[in-house]
Amino acid sequence: MNENYNSDDTFLGRWIAGTLTEEERIAFEKTKEFKQFQLINREAELLEGPAIDTNAALEKVKQQIEQEKPKPKVIRMWYAVAATVILLIGLGTFLNSSKTYRTGIGEKMLVTLNDGSTVNLNANSRLSHKRFFWTDNKEVELTGEGYFTVVKGEGFKVTTAQGHIEVLGTQFNVQERKDQFKVACYEGKVQFTRSIDDVEVLTKGQQVTLSNNSFLKENFNEEKEQWLLNKSTFENVPLHIVLNEFEQYYPVTFDTSKINTKINFTGSFSHSDLEIALQTVLLPMKLKFVKKGNTLTLSE
Amino acid sequence: MQEKDPSICEEKNYNQLFHKHYEAVTKYIYYKCGDLQQAEDITQSVFLKLWKLCNTIAFSKAKSYIYKACNNLFLNEVAHKKVVLKHQKSIVNTADKESPDFLIEVEEFREKLKAAINKLSVKEREVFLLSRVEKHTYKEIAEITGLTVKAIERRMSKALQELKSMLGKDIKI
Repeated sequence: MNENYNSDDTFLGRWIAGTLTEEERIAFEKTKEFKQFQLINREAELLEGPAIDTNAALEKVKQQIEQEKPKPKVIRMWYAVAATVILLIGLGTFLNSSKTYRTGIGEKMLVTLNDGSTVNLNANSRLSHKRFFWTDNKEVELTGEGYFTVVKGEGFKVTTAQGHIEVLGTQFNVQERKDQFKVACYEGKVQFTRSIDDVEVLTKGQQVTLSNNSFLKENFNEEKEQWLLNKSTFENVPLHIVLNEFEQYYPVTFDTSKINTKINFTGSFSHSDLEIALQTVLLPMKLKFVKKGNTLTLSE
Repeated sequence: MQEKDPSICEEKNYNQLFHKHYEAVTKYIYYKCGDLQQAEDITQSVFLKLWKLCNTIAFSKAKSYIYKACNNLFLNEVAHKKVVLKHQKSIVNTADKESPDFLIEVEEFREKLKAAINKLSVKEREVFLLSRVEKHTYKEIAEITGLTVKAIERRMSKALQELKSMLGKDIKI
């Protein structure tokens, strides 16, 4: 019985934990080895492990976390920044996008703008304006020719390569062609600005034309712009301008290398029939033509 | 309560785990390998990993994760060294007076005890030191090592038997 700790392989373990039975304990304490075990146990209990600096270790681990963590975070941040920039540019571009109306050769179009103003767009012309928030800044860009009927309101503006026209409830025609520029006011008042110090105010029946790089202001007496009646009318206009105008309505190209295009033409042509229109222009000028495809070669 | 397990990803919770377990785990690994630097490296790398995995480990499972991960890391690094122990200074004298019968100097005995502890197998040394030095209960040791309480009782018994057979000659009472 004294040899319990030898035969029972958990005996000493249980003694340490204090879970021996009363009987086992008393018997064990009587053995001569007990004091040896007691001494070993008591001295062992006085032992200390190494000193551990938890705070220093935490600091060290945090540093490692910092070293490893920020990179992906920064990259993700840059992705976010890049994505936001692209999104904003995209949104800006979208909000800033333009709406454009085009007419081909011989085509005409009636455009109604957001404020109720209308534009009769003549052949081979282009009108564009901002798609959004246009009524905050009513500005349209014109190339070609258009007849504007503007409802009363603030700051309607037509921009052309030659300058811009500002209006306040009026009707007017703008023609901006090769070698030919004309602003004609049919109602109300418009202001044509070529540059800051070159401003013309036009009232009903007044027009500005560009000739030899200078602007000429004059009166006219037509009730209505002729092209709106589907014809073009000229009075002492050089032939090359007439032919250029002709090309806006019919899909033809004139070869004028054999004739003098500086001579003036007076008369009109219709926009509805090519053969008749050709005769009405060429006969009075005593010109003949040879047709090859869409090219008309003119000769005396 | 378990539904609202605090997140380890929150720094204060992580710090709490660190303060609660770092020292104990490090000593546990140290008693196995006898290399304090190695033990600290192992524990720190496990805590670093704990932070990275903070989303996937429940707060209540953190302790068991830490011990298991440290143990696994330790098993990968085999070299075992002697454990350096020292006696608590303050208690020395009171203990002496109760047992005036020592035939050997207390200091000498203590050196021999430390040497004997280091001669124990790693399995016994680890359990013996966790119990006697770190004052863990068998239940706690079972949790740490993944052994049963019975197995720990056996290892403790064996450790004591071996210590007595190594030191018995020097103790004459």
